[in-house]
Amino acid sequence: MRLKTSLLKEPKHILLLLNKLVSCVGWTSSDELYSCSEDHQILKWNLLTSETSLVAKLPDDFYPIELHWFPKTLGSKKQNQADIFVLTSTDGKFHLVSKNGLIEKSVDAHNGAVLAGRWNYDGSALITAGEDGQIKIWSKSGMLRSTLASQGSPVYSVSWGPDSDRILYTSGRQLVIKPLQPSAKIIQWKAHDGLILKVDWNSVNDLIISGGEDCKYKVWDSFGRLLYTSSSHDYPVTSLSWAPDGEVFAMGSYNTLRLCDKTGWSYAMEKPNTGSVFSLAWSADGTQLAGSCGNGHVIFAHIVEQHWEWKNFVITLTKRRTMQVLNVIDEAVDVLEFRDRVIKASLAFGHLVVATSLQCYVYSSKNWNTPLIFDLKEGTVSLIVQAEKHFLLVDGAGLYIFSYEGQFICSPKFPGMRADILNAQGISLSNDTVALRDKSDEKVVYLFDALTGKAFGDGKPLTHKMEVVDVALDQCGPLNERKIALIDKNRDLYLTSVHRQQPKISKIGSMVHCMQWNDCANILCGIQDNQFTVWYYPSVVFVDKELLPHTLYVKDGSEFARTSHILSYVDTKVTLRQGDGSLIYSTVPSYPAILHNYSSSARWEDALHLCRFAKDQSLWACLAGMTMASKELTIAEMAYAAIGELPRVQYIHFIKEQASKESSLAHMLLFTGQVQEAEAVLLQTGLIYQAIQINIDLFNWERALELAVKHKTHVDTVLAFREKFLQKFGRKESNKRFLQYAEGVEVDWEKIQVKIEMELSKERERAANASVRGSIASRR
Amino acid sequence: HFVQCLSDPVSRPRPKRLHLIGPSPRAMAKDPLADANLYFDELGKLRVLEPEVSHSTTELKEECKDFVDKIAQFQKMVGGLIDLVGELAKETETEKLKAIGARNLLKSVAKQREAQQQQLQALITEKKMQLERSRVEYEALSKVESEQNEFIDQFILQK
Repeated sequence: MRLKTSLLKEPKHILLLLNKLVSCVGWTSSDELYSCSEDHQILKWNLLTSETSLVAKLPDDFYPIELHWFPKTLGSKKQNQADIFVLTSTDGKFHLVSKNGLIEKSVDAHNGAVLAGRWNYDGSALITAGEDGQIKIWSKSGMLRSTLASQGSPVYSVSWGPDSDRILYTSGRQLVIKPLQPSAKIIQWKAHDGLILKVDWNSVNDLIISGGEDCKYKVWDSFGRLLYTSSSHDYPVTSLSWAPDGEVFAMGSYNTLRLCDKTGWSYAMEKPNTGSVFSLAWSADGTQLAGSCGNGHVIFAHIVEQHWEWKNFVITLTKRRTMQVLNVIDEAVDVLEFRDRVIKASLAFGHLVVATSLQCYVYSSKNWNTPLIFDLKEGTVSLIVQAEKHFLLVDGAGLYIFSYEGQFICSPKFPGMRADILNAQGISLSNDTVALRDKSDEKVVYLFDALTGKAFGDGKPLTHKMEVVDVALDQCGPLNERKIALIDKNRDLYLTSVHRQQPKISKIGSMVHCMQWNDCANILCGIQDNQFTVWYYPSVVFVDKELLPHTLYVKDGSEFARTSHILSYVDTKVTLRQGDGSLIYSTVPSYPAILHNYSSSARWEDALHLCRFAKDQSLWACLAGMTMASKELTIAEMAYAAIGELPRVQYIHFIKEQASKESSLAHMLLFTGQVQEAEAVLLQTGLIYQAIQINIDLFNWERALELAVKHKTHVDTVLAFREKFLQKFGRKESNKRFLQYAEGVEVDWEKIQVKIEMELSKERERAANASVRGSIASRR
Repeated sequence: HFVQCLSDPVSRPRPKRLHLIGPSPRAMAKDPLADANLYFDELGKLRVLEPEVSHSTTELKEECKDFVDKIAQFQKMVGGLIDLVGELAKETETEKLKAIGARNLLKSVAKQREAQQQQLQALITEKKMQLERSRVEYEALSKVESEQNEFIDQFILQK
């Protein structure tokens, strides 16, 4: 990935003296740029026709500093586009300028120059910062609302927080985050060893970049924790700008232009002859970059040589409108041409989805010649997420699911959704489900049916106890077994089922920094505490929690540091990106995927064969979990035996010997820890004694007595067992209810034994009758 | 001739001559013509001026003419010389400027080279980082390859 830059031979701004510079640039659309310079001119650059025209000539004493376009209002309110921009100048004023260069309003704002002026994300407020050290907030029409901060030194740069409720500004060598509410806490920290010249805060990934006269740029999270420091450059960092989707940012310095990943490492550097790059601006679709240069030039750049990999295909963006597909197996090369610029692309599940400014192209990896093309409503696709059967596009207005045949399926929505700040961590798609994290309340995850766009169940979202950082849906298996994995703020990994009235949520890992489901089996991989960990069968946690550690596959190594990030997990190949930007690969044994395959098609004999062949404990543990989940007791017994879990083998044996189906079902539920369900099953079928007995076995005395009293049977049994238990531990009865009943009931062990025998034989009879009836019914 | 003498600028010292002539009437008191300041020349023509004086005057005139001519010639020569020197000075001046320019250029080239070197150095560092990334990627892939080979070997052996 690198930047391709273009500079005109002659600067278009008329520079009478050598020290004049272009001070600011701003995009109106993805093909139109306004620039303003010290020659008192506003120029308009049209990239389609590569024409430059003079918009307005400003007064001779007007020296502009910053230009920022009023944000485009999103979605339905399209006609309400106010085409104005704010232009700040050295004389302490800011000006609202219309698209045709007319100064609509000039406001005296600061003493000394106004160094920064930025609209918030919905355009309802404007913030200005001046040489006098004050930060002021203005209404849309330029009325002063408040003076937010005031300090002794100039504020060189200011930026809005993601929800426009906080601002970030520079204070000498320090960075300050100040919420708009006066009572809220201010975060302030020393960020650089020199004056900070530029900051930017991205709304999608919530990360902050800063650069200054110590010639370094740094990446921070919104709590002020340092994530990356660059090495020292030769000249001060004069400009920084996030791409709108938050995946990359651009940095400008003297004769330098750099493209960096959001984690800070640099994709590429260009050394154009520009002088210092004073400001940088990305177009709204994130494909074009413009910079204003100290020597009067305006530099344009776009990203090329972006790569996508999937199985044996490598796709490279060679030009703005051209992609090259290389099949590494037979070295076949296909060239894909597009009518417009490529904005986003995604390659997975055998399909390439390319979004250009007007259309969406869907290619199948089997045929690169005939794409499926459909038109897009809004040009700026910010995210593409793929699943096996369909894919999801996110643009500023909403998110849309399309099938690979190009059919629109649905568009899930929830109240207060802001599609423009959705990122890949907060969204997950599987064949039947979409999961979306709410940005305003990050504890909430909305789950939708991907085929209808409606919320699942009663429409109530999944609410976790902590803020959720990352969500991921598993990709395989039937709808009713869909699982969702989530990482919360404490970096704990949880697994829960999408379809259950009362979702049971289980923790399956801690210190997990990232995760990824496999594309063809429900295997989860992640980086847990500097180790690469694979959960071969995460759902085992719902069957037998203690089996979970046995089903893990752990790989150690320096390459799996905390800063690594998993990009994809296809087949057995895991691709990770290290903190310094290098790609590394790792393989996971292929047996678990095969085992999953056998399990889903109920080929237990083959599964057993595979486990015997592989001689792997974790595989046996997986098999044990799978067979218990699908109640294949015989094979489960063998699997548990293979991993040496003798108590469980015995218990399975015991389950198998149960007199009736209901009993064994209840005991299987007990096996998985679902006591209440087990009891309910027994009570439903009228097996009162058995229900009491399981409570006795669990030392759940009160419940046992309650059941006995309620059904007026076996009270003596409960009392007898209680007495025996107390005797064993040498204690006296202290429970009032037991004392009360002990008075009226005589305990006779022989009688109790007989009663128990009777109950069991009754159950056996019933079971036999039921089976006879069943067989008659089947014969009929 | 008299008028010519009077009008001739060379005959300006005439009053002086007249003054010299002044005492002559006492010396040649016998000649009445001389008293009247009248003389005859060799051709017997009447003259107001003594023939000798007239002769020297003419001679002086001739000499003066020669002198004037010579001076004019000298002036011409000197003028040419001055022009020549002036041209030479001009040429020298331009050459000097050129030399200064060249010297400055030389200095700035050194600086330019330095800047270029710095730029190239920065690019090299960048490439080195990319190389390092590629190296790590290659190592990871080699590791994967060896793992796969190991797996294949194991698989074949078990079969």
